[in-house]
Amino acid sequence: MDGIAQSLGIIFSLGGLGVLFIGALLGIVVGALPGLGPSIGLSLLIPFTYSMSPELSMLLMISLYVSAEYGGSISAILLSTPGTAAAAATAIDGYAMSQKGRANEAISISLTASTIGGILGGLALLLLAMPLAALALSFGPAGYFAVGLFGLTSVAALSGGSLIKGLLCAALGLALATVGIDPIAGTPRFTFGHFELYEGVPFLAALIGLFAVSEAFALAEKHARGQGMDKSGVGHVFMSLGLWRETWRSMLSGSVIGTLLGILPGVGGNIACWVARDYARARSKGSEAFGAGAPNGVAAPEAANNATVGGALVPMLALGVPGSPTTAIMMGALIMHGLHPGPQLFAEQPALVYAILLGVILAAVVQYIVGSIFLPVLARTVLLPDGVIAAGILCFAVLGAYAIRNLMFDVWLTMGFGVLGYMMKKFSFPVAPVILAMVLGYLIESNYRTALVSSRGDYTVFVTDPISVLFLLLSLASILVPIWRAWGPRGRTARRVSA
Amino acid sequence: MQSSTNAAMGRTFGARMRRAVSAACLAVAGVAAATAMSASPARAEFPEKPVTLVVWSGAGGALDTYGRKLAELLEKDAGWTVKVDNRPGGSGAVGMSQIATQPADGYNILVLTGTLTFGIAQGLIPFKVDDLRLLRAMQSEPSSLAVLADSPFKSVDDFVGYMKEHPNELRVGGHSSGGFHQYMLYQLMKQGGFESGWVPHDASGKVTLALLGKHLDAAMMTPSTGLSQVKSGEIRLLGVTTEERSPFLPDAPTFAEQGYDLTGAIWRGIAVKAGTPDDVVASIQTAIDKVTASEDWKTFQEQQFQDSPDWAEEEFTKQVKKDLEEQSEFLKAAGFVQ
Repeated sequence: MDGIAQSLGIIFSLGGLGVLFIGALLGIVVGALPGLGPSIGLSLLIPFTYSMSPELSMLLMISLYVSAEYGGSISAILLSTPGTAAAAATAIDGYAMSQKGRANEAISISLTASTIGGILGGLALLLLAMPLAALALSFGPAGYFAVGLFGLTSVAALSGGSLIKGLLCAALGLALATVGIDPIAGTPRFTFGHFELYEGVPFLAALIGLFAVSEAFALAEKHARGQGMDKSGVGHVFMSLGLWRETWRSMLSGSVIGTLLGILPGVGGNIACWVARDYARARSKGSEAFGAGAPNGVAAPEAANNATVGGALVPMLALGVPGSPTTAIMMGALIMHGLHPGPQLFAEQPALVYAILLGVILAAVVQYIVGSIFLPVLARTVLLPDGVIAAGILCFAVLGAYAIRNLMFDVWLTMGFGVLGYMMKKFSFPVAPVILAMVLGYLIESNYRTALVSSRGDYTVFVTDPISVLFLLLSLASILVPIWRAWGPRGRTARRVSA
Repeated sequence: MQSSTNAAMGRTFGARMRRAVSAACLAVAGVAAATAMSASPARAEFPEKPVTLVVWSGAGGALDTYGRKLAELLEKDAGWTVKVDNRPGGSGAVGMSQIATQPADGYNILVLTGTLTFGIAQGLIPFKVDDLRLLRAMQSEPSSLAVLADSPFKSVDDFVGYMKEHPNELRVGGHSSGGFHQYMLYQLMKQGGFESGWVPHDASGKVTLALLGKHLDAAMMTPSTGLSQVKSGEIRLLGVTTEERSPFLPDAPTFAEQGYDLTGAIWRGIAVKAGTPDDVVASIQTAIDKVTASEDWKTFQEQQFQDSPDWAEEEFTKQVKKDLEEQSEFLKAAGFVQ
């Protein structure tokens, strides 16, 4: 217990609180800028952490990580340009809300949900790190494949008006996910000799292009035609009692989903946000217009993407193996201080471990404070004329695209996706299924094939692995339940509303 | 393998494109180098301006950690100003082309690993070893045959004996497809006379997780990938591919002492573009000597469980060319390249 007392001493020192606030402020900014996510933010921080104590450097990094996961939703809600991949799901209902003049509510929901998600994810890390690590280990390739497939079933929910169009877009995303070095054979596929494509079509280029660039084109067009959108400022970030009553369940379910998917290496927030949104939608009684500005469509993914932070730290602290690119950077920083994360760190450096564990929770609280001070100011950007916003989005989109790998190739690719996204909007094809399928395509394919290589071609591996069976059944349920509902007595009205 | 014709077509087309791209790169670089040289007739002591370390992987991970430590110590011990620039992608080809498009003046130093030779042999990296001056190999890590503590195998012989009687039965895997660890397993297969499949993983951390979660029966991995578990005894190393027992792992036997001629290590080091003048290279070597002599560097290497090959240019280049030859043979025999 000495460790806890010592770590609290560090956190509540001037330096501790200072780095938490600085981290939160930086995190919100790098999160909100498209393309600059938590990984880039952390790698820019590394040189500054050399001279700090390991505890303070971890607090700074955690605070930035937590807030960056949140910051992505600000631009997603106000400008339909998700700042991070994990905020893509928020863009759908968040932007719809802000176009209806409910930006203030959407922002308050996302900040509150993110904070609750961060705290619950942190509590799970603090209290359940070892059992959660054991759970993460029980996922084999068959299990990962089934989780990916389960995620893919939420395409239907993202399809908007036409399921056919949704499926077409998902097929496009899956096709794009096959570009790159074959995960099993090790040879390049569909790269046309461009080594820039060995690691696949950069997911962030597609995200920035399809969401941000296409929206900039659409805004510029509207501006030219003089059809401005409804402007609404953000006065404060406190949720009304009614909103609390409406969304608290989604925040809880989102937090649980986020924590659980966060512990799985290669899954994390990019997938958790979609699964959480889909769960909230399935649970709603069809009375709410998901896709057209449902508060729960903001609350669930926002709670989930922040809860993944606590989850993602589980494999690093409990096993000494980083579960995500972001935690790999944090682990690198610890190594620079001569420390090796892992179970023995609990005995060797209890103060550091508890500073990390409690830091996640406190970083979520600090994020709420910093957010409530700065959001009303930041949100003034939406009051600018549409043409200015469009130019601004394009600037940051290019910057973000270049920041992915410092390659102009990625910038051109992003612009290409922007044109594609604009045309898709014109013909009312939804862009979200493309993103979702791109995220999941590689996960599904590589694990499907790894499972078969491990079982020497025996397909029963998918039904003998308990986790695989569980998620395959869940996938089946998530396809069949909506069909059953559509045939039921309330079917027709529900279908019209959820469209 | 029904996609092999497609892949072959892709490769010829790809090769032509790559030739065109590298030709263009070289042309640009040539012009740039010529201007740089004419601009500085009398060269003062190198470096006159900040030096960039181009790390060919993303932030986080062993190569990046090495590059950043090197940057820190070059500033501290040699008085340089150093910027770290991560250029991940293309199995290292992105980082290499970044070097190729800059002047050969030593201000852009590539931080790279032994996967260089696999990338070239597999045709993924459209450059030759001769496009670089390989200055110094500073870290190296072996591979090892790892099992869980409760596995029945206590030695390499146990494992080989079982595999001979039950070909392909165990799930053996490791990081990447057609890379260093699979190459080590392939050599063991040849010597032990057994057949084994290979379950590739796209990140080395996932190999440890798969082993711990019993999704693999045995793994070929760098010992430091599962450092906590190796230290605690949860993971047992049956054989390590060093010539002598590593001082970091005195309890882990080598393959050599068990009668297998299996040694190999993946190095990490630095290189500059071919054509960099000798006096600049000499200045870089002096600075690296200062780093490797420092206490900070020695402590870092120990904490990281890293061997220090400290090969200078001549030995480094010889070693890399030998690796390339042997690995090309393996990749052909194992069907990765025609």
